[in-house]
Amino acid sequence: MESELVALLISGALFVTVATSLLASKVSYSLISLFYASIVLGVAFTVYGDGLLGLLTMITFAGAISVLLLSVVLITGESKIGLGARELALGAIPLAAAIGGISLVAVFSGKAGGLATSDSSQAVLSFLWTLRPWDLLILIVVFAGSMVAIVSLLGREN
Amino acid sequence: MALDQTILIATGTALLFTGIASISVSKNLLKSIMSFQVAVFGANLALFASGMGYSPRLLSDAFVVLSVLVGASVEAVGLAIIVVVYRKYGTLNPDEIRRLRR
Repeated sequence: MESELVALLISGALFVTVATSLLASKVSYSLISLFYASIVLGVAFTVYGDGLLGLLTMITFAGAISVLLLSVVLITGESKIGLGARELALGAIPLAAAIGGISLVAVFSGKAGGLATSDSSQAVLSFLWTLRPWDLLILIVVFAGSMVAIVSLLGREN
Repeated sequence: MALDQTILIATGTALLFTGIASISVSKNLLKSIMSFQVAVFGANLALFASGMGYSPRLLSDAFVVLSVLVGASVEAVGLAIIVVVYRKYGTLNPDEIRRLRR
């Protein structure tokens, strides 16, 4: 039952990110949504037991290709993000709430940081609980830093 | 076939056809490249899900790796062509580029 739920969640996340990417009016919003879609696809491969493939997908698409797309958007001046403080806050507050909630659940459930037992290693999401909280924090900081850099680059005036 | 495998294959197929349809209706070359990436995502997901029932799923993994590398290479070349086209014509609209070529 858990694997079907995970498959549905992954499919839903992929559909939402791809639809946002294809239907967004600005190219920069499409680029950011496509970045999230790459991450979701990499997570899907990792969840279903192929971490190397997930890593390859994330490095190739979320890393290299996103930077190439960003460079082309900047060169052509095709789109700019006019993010004001209000829009930034509206985007940051749900993200911070989600990250905080996940971190609290991970820390207080006692699963994060522990070694995977024989039962939990069979579960689909077991890879997540083998990460330590500091690893998660470093990942989140790197991810948030890259997003801020992209928004800053795209919002720059000529 | 397990239910999660069916869900993932259906999702991959839907993404593939969505990407192809979006390529054909897009009025911006950058959006076309992004649609191509969506199609590649769908193909990768469907290929990966097709090998989920087998214990050493080497064939599907090899196809996915091949698809990732070929897709990334095609996108990189496409983006380079887009930059050249933009420098020459000053627009990324395919209809406008076709009009300016005449």
